[in-house]
Order: sequence, then C-alpha cells, then structure tokens
Amino acid sequence: MFLFFPLSELWRTLLTSTIGLLTLVGIMVRPFRWNESQIAMGGAAVLLLLGLIRPGDAALTLARDWNTFLFFLGMMALSALAETAGLFDWLAVQAARLAGASAARLFLNVFILGTLITMIFSNDATALILTPIVYVLVTKLRLPVLPYLFACTFIADTASFLLPISNPINIIVMSRFPLPLPTFLRLLLLPCLVVIAINLAVFYLLYRKQLKGSFNINHMPTLSQAVKHGPYFRYALGVLALVAPSYVLASAFQFPLSMVAVAGAALLLAGGLGWKRTTLLETCKGVSWSIFGFIAGMFVVVRAVEDTGLTVKLGNLLLHLSGGTSFGAVLAGTLGSALGTNLINNVPMAVVMNSALGSVQHATPAIRNGFVAATMFGCDLGPNLTTVGSLATILWLLILRQRKLEVSGLDYFKVGVIVTPLMLLAGACTIWLCL
Amino acid sequence: MKILACLDGTNAEAMGHAARMFAGAQPLTIGLLTVMDVGPRKAIDRTRERFWRPPMHRQPVIQEMLAAEKEACQDILKAGLERLPEAESLLRQGYPELELVNAAADWKADVILICPRAEYGAPPSLGPHSVGHVARFVLDHAPCPVMLVRPPAGELFPIKG
Repeated sequence: MFLFFPLSELWRTLLTSTIGLLTLVGIMVRPFRWNESQIAMGGAAVLLLLGLIRPGDAALTLARDWNTFLFFLGMMALSALAETAGLFDWLAVQAARLAGASAARLFLNVFILGTLITMIFSNDATALILTPIVYVLVTKLRLPVLPYLFACTFIADTASFLLPISNPINIIVMSRFPLPLPTFLRLLLLPCLVVIAINLAVFYLLYRKQLKGSFNINHMPTLSQAVKHGPYFRYALGVLALVAPSYVLASAFQFPLSMVAVAGAALLLAGGLGWKRTTLLETCKGVSWSIFGFIAGMFVVVRAVEDTGLTVKLGNLLLHLSGGTSFGAVLAGTLGSALGTNLINNVPMAVVMNSALGSVQHATPAIRNGFVAATMFGCDLGPNLTTVGSLATILWLLILRQRKLEVSGLDYFKVGVIVTPLMLLAGACTIWLCL
Repeated sequence: MKILACLDGTNAEAMGHAARMFAGAQPLTIGLLTVMDVGPRKAIDRTRERFWRPPMHRQPVIQEMLAAEKEACQDILKAGLERLPEAESLLRQGYPELELVNAAADWKADVILICPRAEYGAPPSLGPHSVGHVARFVLDHAPCPVMLVRPPAGELFPIKG
C-alpha cells in the first residue's frame, strides 16, 4: 500500500521494525493459542499488504532458500519412513541387548544411539522418534524413565553439529555462509565431541543413583518384535547405507544436501508403497507442514527488516561486542544465539543471525568463521537450556511454584540450567581453539 | 484405620514391613497406591511443540507408551499384593505428588506411608537431599499424618557434628 504513497524512510523503518518485533514477540508468547506458523505468515502478509516489502523481493528470498525448504521436507520424510521400517525400534533393542542388563551401560548406549541418529537423520529424528521408543523400552525394563528421556532430548541438540545435516539450522546458516566440509569439521567436530562428553559426564553424575541398578533381560522386546516386515526393513537399511555416505560426499562437494535427503526419502517411500508398509497420506502425516509456513514467514519478515538496515546494526553491535577478536566473536555469537533461541525458538534466531552476520562479511576470516560457527553452535545447543519447552512454559511453571503448587516440571527445567551453560562455555572455547 | 501405602516400583518390601506395624489397629484397611506419571509424556509433548509437531495423543506410539506404563504399574501393584494380600489396590494417573495427596484425601486415609525416594540399587543416604520431590510434596501437603519409611541405615551412624 505504502509503495503507492510517499512515506519517509524513517516511517518505513519504524513500521517495518514494529511489525518485525511484534512477529517475534508473537512467536514468543503465542497469544490466543495461535501457532508460530500463523504468526510468522501473518507478519509477512501485513508487510506485503502495506507494501513494506515488494512481492518480487519476497518471492526471490523464498526462491533463494529452496535448499532449506527441500531439506526440511526430505529430512522429515526420511525419518518418518525409517520409523515405519522399524529401524529405530530395532536400534533401541540392540542398544538394550548390548547393555548386558546394566542400567548404566544402557544409558551410555542410548547416548551413543542418539548421537548416531542425530548425525545421520538430524536432531528432529532423535527428539521426536527415538525418545518415545526409548521411553517404552525403559518402562518395559522397569527402569527409571527420566534419565533416559533426558538423554534422548539432550543428545538431539548436543550432537547437532557433528555434520551439516545433523540439524536443519546448519543448513539455514550455511545457505548464506557456505563452509567447505573440512572447515565445518575443523571448527565444529571437536567442540561437538567435547560437549557430548560434558553432557554425558554431568548426566552420569546427576543420575548416578538411578543408574546403579540392572534390568531383567526377560522384559526386553525381541528383535523380531521390533521389525514388523523383514524385507522392507532390510531394504531401508540398504537405502540408509547409501544415504549416509552420500550426505558426506554432498557436503564435501557442496552439492545441495536437500537432494540427497529427498532422494533417500523417495527411495524409502517407493519401497514402502511396494511392500504396502505405508501410504502417501501416512508419509505426509509424518511431515510437519506448518514449519514451511513458519520458515517462509520468517524469511520474508527478516528480509523486510534487513532492508531497513536494522539487522546490520545488530551485526555491528555483535562485532563491537566481540572487541574485534576471534575469541570475542565466538563468545558474542554463541551467547547471542543461545539466548535468542530460548526466547524466539532456534529457527527464527538463525534467520535473524544470518541477516545480522551480513555485516561481518568483511571482517578477518577468523572473526567471520568464528561468528558463523558460533551461530550454528549457539542455535543448535541453546534450546537445551529450556529443553522441555518455551520460555512461556517455564514462566508458567515458575508461577505455579510461587503459588506453592510444586509440580515436577521445574525439575525438568533444572537439568537444562545445570548442564547447558557449561556446555556452551566449553564448546565456545573449543571453537576458538579450532579457529 | 485406613493406611495408604505409596508404591514406587522399588519399595514393596519396605511398605509391607511398615504396614504390618499397624497390625494391631482394628479395623484395618490397607490401600496400595501407584501412579502412572504423566510428567514424562508431557515433557515429550513440549519437545514436540518445539519441533512444530502435534501432541503425542495423535500418534500411534502413544498406545504403546500407555500399554507399557499400565503393565509396569500392574507389576508394581502385584509386588505389593504379594507382601500385603489383604490390601486393596489403587491406580491413578497424573503427577505423582498431586495424585498421592489427592488420593489420600479421596480415600480418607488416616496415615500415608511413603519412602523418601525410589531406590534403584544405590546405598541408602541421609541428609537434606535424601527426600525426593514427590515425598517432600506429600510431607508438605498431605491431608493426614505421614510416615516416612526410610531404608535401614544403621551403618551411617553415629552422625558426627
């Protein structure tokens, strides 16, 4: 609308930033139980209707990020189809078999399994698919549930930067700041191993009493119970044995990772349809479609805000806070991303940081790489601070406690507060050493 | 007299011993209570929300989770009934700390028997952190007297100042 009426630059900036801010606040507090997708798309629609971003620019922004959208699609479908094949159930039973009836060894195996699944399928698969499977397993084994539940939800984020495909956030950041695979591994592999070790050690310490015991192997499900259809399961294993190295090769040659994910999902779907183990509708149900609206809305809103120059100011602020040193860059990038991700979720934070980091393009390679690696690190690991939910959930739990109505929820929150700052600090220092 | 014994999956024997201390009271009714904890399921739901997924109740895996929980609870009650065959069993679903005090009020319990925390093989401990959050909540909010059933810990004495 304002495209057709003269409006001063100041007013355009004020209007755009107000809408951008309201969108972010809306995502944070979710008024009237609107979901994040509706709020992000609503913000984008208002900006388009008021003419604060040109439809052509919005379309170009979305088209430029096709790899991100396709990766989300392929990743979610691949995980859902691997679940249908019984892969995760089979792996969980194997983890229990290899534990030799020891609760502590099973805990270690769950950590290792979560790490491997996150590395190949992304954090989404570990947090959403592995967690309930492990929950059922440990309930059947009559073991305390919480340590294993936390192991799954935490490792999903802690192992998120082993490979670029281990978390879609990495794809979002690297779509704007591509890092060759050797550079990615040099900057993030060792920090990832360090934080996994810290996570494991702190959890062993926290849950040492619950993990003392053993379990009765007679309560364990058999491998045949886990695999519902042998041929499809073996086919799925074969496909995934192709997909995993393809991801590494695609990362090494900077080939779009979404193509590998979608091709893998298409092969699994073809097998699933052929053996009548799934339907197209069933597979579609395994995909969270609202995330596409959410990401699209966020991309458009942040692009409009970027045009006002505000995100450049944020980037300059980060650069200023870094004091022009690589250590400062890693620390400012990590803390900024980790805090933001607990306020507005990690996807919008990654999009905002992507835009802000435009202003560090001309900094020295050490500072630039420090910011990029720290952004992925902070956005991937940050959610562990409030892993059981958003800030709103935590506030609700705090209010309940103030009213003397103590519920277990806050005890869930405590775990994140204990372990996450430690991991963020140790990981940031290791990134700096790897620069 | 109505005694409500709270079972956590690790304390059937301790509850059996404690309940028998009230054998002289007549008439005596013993209730064995265990709770299907909804906390972990709600935590999974909140994680799902972070990943833009609908709550668990729309997923097929929830049936498996509920079946496993129910089977585990029935095992816990069975172990209690082996020690106290005359007792009646009570199964509730919710947050354990809330369900325990609410069940005690609904059932009009005269005494609640509860262990400080579930013990999974670790040696007994004393001190400020020896009472878990569920038992602590019950001590703070119970509608009747509460008997805290500690595991024998004679070897930890004398406590030195």
